[in-house]
Amino acid sequence: MPGLTSEPDDLAMVPVSLETENQPVVNYPLRHGLKSPIHRLSFSWACGNTLRVSVFRKPQSETADGEGEAGGRVVEVKLSNSGDEEVDAARWRRMAYSSVTPFALLQSRKHSLSAASRMSLDIPPYKAEWWEHVIEYSKEISSLLSDQKPPPKSIIEDAKSVVNEIAAPVCLKAAWELLEIFYIDKQSQSWIPERLLDWLADYNSLFSGTLPTIHSKLVDFQQELVGVQVVEDDPNYWDAMSSALAVGWLETVVKLLRLHGSYRFDQLSSREAVYLFYRVPKSITLCVFCLRDLTTGCTAMSDDKVDFLVLFVSHCSSLASKNGLVEAVAVLISKMPRMRPSLREDNLGECYKTKPDFMKAWEKWRTQISKLDCSSYWLQCDHRQTREGLKNLIQIMLGNPTVLSNATFNWMELFISHFLYVRPFTAGLESMHNSAKKCMQVKPASIPHKLFGLILGILGENTEVVLAECSRSFGPWMMAHAVELLTAGSTHAEILLHEEHSKLGGVSIEELHRLVYAQVLSSHALTWQIAPIYLTSCIKQGIRLLENLLYKQPVQHSQILLKSIEICRLYELDTINSNIMRIAGVHHWKHGRKGSGVFWLQQARDEFRLNRIAKQLFDFVGKSVSDEGFKQWEGLIELLGSESRTAGGLEFLNKYRDFRRSLLQVHGDTPTDAARNAAEALVSLMKNPSTPQRFWLPLLYDSLKLLMWQERPLVNVSQTQLLLNKLQELSMARLRPDFVEADLPSDALSSVRLALATNLGRAILEE
Amino acid sequence: MAVLTSSSQNLQVHRFPQDYYIDSLRWLPQLSAFHRHIILAAFDSESSTSSLQILNSSNSSSNTPELTFQSSLTTPSRITSLTTSHNPNKPLIAASTFSGSLLLYTADLVNGSLEFVDSVDEKGFHLGRINGIDVSENGSEFVSVGEDGRINWVSFVGGGLSTRKVFDSNGLVSYGAVKWASPVEFVSGGLGFGLQWWDQRRPGGPVSQFKANWTRGTTSGIVHSIDIHPSRKHTCLAGGSSGTVFAWDLRWQQQPIMLSGVGTSDLSALSPLESDVWEVQYDNYTTSSNYRNMSESRVLPAMICSEDGILAVIEQGEEPVELLAEPCAINSFDIDRQNPSEIVCSLEWESIAILTRS
Repeated sequence: MPGLTSEPDDLAMVPVSLETENQPVVNYPLRHGLKSPIHRLSFSWACGNTLRVSVFRKPQSETADGEGEAGGRVVEVKLSNSGDEEVDAARWRRMAYSSVTPFALLQSRKHSLSAASRMSLDIPPYKAEWWEHVIEYSKEISSLLSDQKPPPKSIIEDAKSVVNEIAAPVCLKAAWELLEIFYIDKQSQSWIPERLLDWLADYNSLFSGTLPTIHSKLVDFQQELVGVQVVEDDPNYWDAMSSALAVGWLETVVKLLRLHGSYRFDQLSSREAVYLFYRVPKSITLCVFCLRDLTTGCTAMSDDKVDFLVLFVSHCSSLASKNGLVEAVAVLISKMPRMRPSLREDNLGECYKTKPDFMKAWEKWRTQISKLDCSSYWLQCDHRQTREGLKNLIQIMLGNPTVLSNATFNWMELFISHFLYVRPFTAGLESMHNSAKKCMQVKPASIPHKLFGLILGILGENTEVVLAECSRSFGPWMMAHAVELLTAGSTHAEILLHEEHSKLGGVSIEELHRLVYAQVLSSHALTWQIAPIYLTSCIKQGIRLLENLLYKQPVQHSQILLKSIEICRLYELDTINSNIMRIAGVHHWKHGRKGSGVFWLQQARDEFRLNRIAKQLFDFVGKSVSDEGFKQWEGLIELLGSESRTAGGLEFLNKYRDFRRSLLQVHGDTPTDAARNAAEALVSLMKNPSTPQRFWLPLLYDSLKLLMWQERPLVNVSQTQLLLNKLQELSMARLRPDFVEADLPSDALSSVRLALATNLGRAILEE
Repeated sequence: MAVLTSSSQNLQVHRFPQDYYIDSLRWLPQLSAFHRHIILAAFDSESSTSSLQILNSSNSSSNTPELTFQSSLTTPSRITSLTTSHNPNKPLIAASTFSGSLLLYTADLVNGSLEFVDSVDEKGFHLGRINGIDVSENGSEFVSVGEDGRINWVSFVGGGLSTRKVFDSNGLVSYGAVKWASPVEFVSGGLGFGLQWWDQRRPGGPVSQFKANWTRGTTSGIVHSIDIHPSRKHTCLAGGSSGTVFAWDLRWQQQPIMLSGVGTSDLSALSPLESDVWEVQYDNYTTSSNYRNMSESRVLPAMICSEDGILAVIEQGEEPVELLAEPCAINSFDIDRQNPSEIVCSLEWESIAILTRS
């Protein structure tokens, strides 16, 4: 008999690659510990991703050298992915665990809302409420996708740290946020370009692996910066700034500009400032204060001050003009009008909530830039790199397509820069899509990033593409959870996802993805228990698959057994519940744990099997229910209780125990009453139809002392006749071939018969 | 992190996600006010290996505890039950396994390291899973019960373990939990809400047996955990299936005191839970005056954790106080003996929670 082995030795990890067609087949040795030749192999799926391989040798009779060796073995092979995914297994499980509650909450809200609104979520008050629930759900899921805490901010700010490294971003979160921006966050519809800009700022580093990005450029430059003495001589300094400016990372640009040499104290002393004061016309004395603000790095200036500043610059000396120009550009950058309600922490710009206000401010800002661009004082700036670099920054702000293209590295960055400087009033997905397509022509991506596919699908308003990209790139978790965003955000998507397909066995796409995700959960020993939450949200096929899942769980592991029973209780799967308990009962019984076997069969109320095993149990009882060994049985008999309903044929044991107990108390000197009770117990046992025939003779033989009680007969005439009838029946049964002889002395039957006959005589006389 | 305020007390909860399943955990005796250790039985599903780990819990800044990994030892099989002696210098840690062996370790609290001492895994010990073990007050006697129906007494003498079979039911009964009542008495529990009282001065079988019959008509259940308070050794607290928690007083044997449970109609309103109670422990965190006033016949307050994610304190005739309500099961918990305001519990979704009551 092959035995199931579960020692760690036999569990081999076998990596499986998803792209098998491109790679040669790899052999993995299987350690089964059997001598060849192997006669037969059999494969089956065990729980989850475990493959069970049964290895059989030839039956021993056919091979001469197979003495003392196992005839076969079962090896469990765990299959897993090679582990090059973005999210490791433990983190993935954490994500799966924490998305359960938001998902379940949303489903239950959906149920109660559709019950209240009679199946239609489109009626206004319900729709608004539903919308809020979906937003809450989306935010919760999004937050759990980055469970790492941000590193603590250092108190002393490093002037030379340009790139803020937040917790490692993941594509999954980036994709989720994209869906949230376009499908859920209705409030931000008017400022989608700005949201995309924030998005790119957060996730630009994700593209660095496959594409050149501004982020990687800045990271490189930051390393270089530590060793550079005079930054303004370094062309990389100006390149880094123009790139950062192109995608709107204003705070980075301003921070870098402040590293410019003209801010150093040895170059701009207080004497210089006083000198400047005398050179400037009296009408714009205000500028001096501006200058003081500038040198202290304060940028909170009114629009008037900016205008003055631009004028002022043209009255400065060469050195001051350099500083003045740098500062003028810095101020203009930090005053850039933004079409958004508020800024994120540390970000620069001026916010405008309505389009007319924004357009007005934009025009004014552009005019200021042009004014500065045309200022004659550029000629006096004697530092070539500064002059060209600043001019370049101005060109970016003026939306020069060539400069923008040079400053960005992939189409997404170019796309964002167009929003910012070329077409700031773009609205609507269609124009955004057109713009994206143009940018792609300018900067085609050699290796398309998976997020780009998703963005294009969303901009193209093509739900099928969005679904396909999500499924291909982000896997079943994404599909199961993101479907809620798509259906809430687009009517077309809702119809597409909820339509039932006969090709898919009547399930909708939404249900299909949930089922797939549930299968993924089921394939792991630690996540299978959350699969029911997803399965029960699938109306068509969910319960069937849940039944399959529960039946596949190993019952020998008591914790898993109790878990399965708990799941059955929660979802009111009574039939499966009793089936599982029955399977567990039989399993325990087969493995010699008779108590557990009986307990689970009792729980399953399986009279049939209880009666069947009762027979076996009585065999086992045999002589072992001797006077001293009886203690062993106490526990089981206590378990059975006295109720016949749940004990099946085992009810007999309880009465038998009571009888033995009373019999034990009977000695030669006991009062007749106690002996009488024992005799009553004997008669009721013999009367009871559930008392197995094979116990009749041992019972009577053990009771000889009762039948031959000295004082007076304990059993009356009719009772004795009943016992004699039973004895007669027994003699008849002995003739049958299947009769099992009790392990008693050969004269047992005759001595019982003699005792009964004597008792009958005494009883008749007494009556 | 969440701060819950229940009726009478402030509660701080800190959760620590781990990368493995936690089968059981216990506080180790406290070395200093700022450094405490937790011992846990971990199971790594990726490599199918199990281990014992020591974590250091320290209150570094702003009252936020931090958990740091200290040391780990791989165990030959998955751990089913974990118990520690409260010897402050070198606490003993006993663990029972799925494969039926008992492992003994000592912990060095200064270095936070674990050291293997001895193990019992001979053929006659247990067949299959050991469901429960307990260590005596003096830290040198262990008792183990298994699903095979065996009860073994293990003594730690002269640096090694020696075993003695107390009882073998040959599988006719399976035991689920065990707890010492005195140096020579212990209580076992198992199927059908049964409890057995054993006395080593009267060997051969249980001295007294209790079989719950209040579940007449509904299904019966299993006892998962037992506790006995050192000051009331005649009362045995048991928790098990269907949210059942009851106390069995040896002096009134036939009438258990129901503290919680679905099957009891009059108490169902009070019952905070419906599914398996995995662990019960008397909760010593009560103001001392309350404690003294408690009448002799009343059951002391107890803490329970359950399959439906509840960690609660229940008291006879009072509303239960919920400390935690998790979306997943709470597998085990431990109340710090020296500082009962601190509780550590392990959650099914691979994480640990530390609760501080104030």
